[in-house]
Amino acid sequence: MERRSFLKVMAAGATIVAVNPSLIRGTLYADDGRLYSAYEKAQIVDGAGNPIKASSLEKEVTYIFNYPYASTPSMLINLPEPTQQEVALKSEAGEEYVWKSGVGKERTIVAYSAICAHQLTHPTPNDSFIKYVPKATPTMAYSKSGIIVCSSHLSAYDASAGAKVLGGAASQPLAAVVLEVAADDTIWAVGVLGSDKFQDYFKAFKPEFKEFFGGPAQAKQLVSLSAKTVKLTEYSKEIIQY
Amino acid sequence: MALSRRDAMKFTGLAAVTAAASSGYAAGNEGGAKAATQSILLSPAPIPAAKGPRVVIVGAGPSGLTIAKYVKKANPKVDVVLMDKRSVFMSGFISNLVATGVLPLDFITHDFLEGARNGNYTFLQATAHEIDRTSKTVYTNEGIVKYDVLVLAPGIDYDYSKWTKGDVELETALRTKFPGAFIAGSETLTLKSKIENMEGGVFVQTVPGGNYRCLPGPYERSCLIADYMKRNKIKGKVVILDENPNITIKADGFHSAFEKLYKDYITYMPSTTITSIDPNKQKIVTELGEEIDFTDAALYSRVRGNKLLEIAGVAKDSVFNKGEANIDPFTYQVIGDKNVFCTGDVRPMGFSKSANTANTEGKIVAKNIVKYLAGEELSQKTWSSPLTVCYSAVAGDPMRAISVHAEYAYDETKKSFGFANAGTMEKWDGADGLAGGKGLVEWGKGLYRDFF
Repeated sequence: MERRSFLKVMAAGATIVAVNPSLIRGTLYADDGRLYSAYEKAQIVDGAGNPIKASSLEKEVTYIFNYPYASTPSMLINLPEPTQQEVALKSEAGEEYVWKSGVGKERTIVAYSAICAHQLTHPTPNDSFIKYVPKATPTMAYSKSGIIVCSSHLSAYDASAGAKVLGGAASQPLAAVVLEVAADDTIWAVGVLGSDKFQDYFKAFKPEFKEFFGGPAQAKQLVSLSAKTVKLTEYSKEIIQY
Repeated sequence: MALSRRDAMKFTGLAAVTAAASSGYAAGNEGGAKAATQSILLSPAPIPAAKGPRVVIVGAGPSGLTIAKYVKKANPKVDVVLMDKRSVFMSGFISNLVATGVLPLDFITHDFLEGARNGNYTFLQATAHEIDRTSKTVYTNEGIVKYDVLVLAPGIDYDYSKWTKGDVELETALRTKFPGAFIAGSETLTLKSKIENMEGGVFVQTVPGGNYRCLPGPYERSCLIADYMKRNKIKGKVVILDENPNITIKADGFHSAFEKLYKDYITYMPSTTITSIDPNKQKIVTELGEEIDFTDAALYSRVRGNKLLEIAGVAKDSVFNKGEANIDPFTYQVIGDKNVFCTGDVRPMGFSKSANTANTEGKIVAKNIVKYLAGEELSQKTWSSPLTVCYSAVAGDPMRAISVHAEYAYDETKKSFGFANAGTMEKWDGADGLAGGKGLVEWGKGLYRDFF
């Protein structure tokens, strides 16, 4: 799929929510202290708009879909092993929350915001410094691989444990995108768990929004119905990893 | 003569000033004028009254900017005032790339007010000239500011004494003609203009001893100037006079760049102690009797803690430099005055004096300041290590860079800090070096995003 059509479709999808704001639910703090924001449910689809089945996701490949906003990239990863469960995490403000688990038959599928919790580095159509580093690929950021690394300032996150910080300067986990896998093996994004950086991101990248999304208003539109998902290697021209 | 209303007003204004001045003289009343000035200096500075405990931060560099933002973030009820004598922020990091024309000036130039708006703190453009720790007062040219907690993050100053032996005329000539360009601002612009107008000849870059600001900076700059000469077909040479026995950081990467990229453009002279500099004849003499005639130069002297620490009575010579902060290395609090913290490049610990270090340290100190205001005692247990991550460009077009990352650990037996979990990426050639170049730009942008 061409990048251009990818962005276009994303924006078109978002418009539907924009005219129907009643669909947008606010931030919820569940009774057990979890920090969770529900967004419009969006199906993970490929470049042609066809649903991606959970069982068809390649292992250890970083996929990118923009969610919950038209401009906020998220990573979708099928890990080699089942994730941990019920991981207790803490935001930089000290709020505690629990990341339940990966999804799919083997609990290997995870999704996280691809905006680094440290200084907001994220994939753009030009380049990306943040990605999942497969087990067999070494990284400067941490003693073992099979983790998420932001190579801008070497923050390392545990992909199998709610993106808990393993190393570097990040002071909180990446926000997790909460996924559901339906009975027909289709994947859905339903919300964001943890402390996200979306507002800081909207403040910091105005020139970029103009270049890639048309402008700040378009960048802030919510994704609805479906979220186009492509491999990071298709999303960004250049991928940089240490 | 017909006077317009406008002229009349002007004239009246002028007359009033003249009258005031002459009456002062007539009465021999210089004391009165001085009293008026003093009353401004002794009145509260024109900022809103504190609505909570007040943290005053002097110095809006990487350390001060980070602390202001993160204290406010950790507890919005704390009143934060960030003070700097400059009206515009210019970063030292990335400035070598600006001086050599690789990146534009606006890349490193930023707006203090943007940081204040986004961080919800007060920015006061003022120069602190006196600090009274008994009454917890900072005296500035804009009036007085009272604090509950004071953070001194004024950065380095140059220590020319080894070269000048106290000769102020010589020091001023060196500062003016051949600034080190490691305190960003006019010095950066001077360096930029030297390079842009370079016609050839010998450009001397010195590397000081001690724990100087930005360890790889002089080597990076030498590479970039050599690169500039090469690209622009300028017949010139960079001569690096290094007080140290070897390149102080990323030595493999820089040595191989000197050798493979700039063999005809860089002469590296380690263990070089300068005994005299003549700024008029443009001649340097070394301890070994070598004489180096130079066409232009960036003479980076040793560094010391900013003199504001002496004004505040919190300065002490460290094992590295003069006049650094007399603080508990774990809490950053002044010995004997826990309400005063000293951070950034004035810290006496042997951490790298660099932006990423100050930024990560600032977040830790900010958290601890909020804890301290809440009544908690700070100690070694509340300490955690800052992180040093820094990139150095070795070529500008296309940009190639090498990098280093490290933490620090306290050695209980040696009673000092050393590197921990350190690593380097020193392969500037091939894809690694190009990725490093991209990494450098994104690294810098990340820091600016965090500061502002």
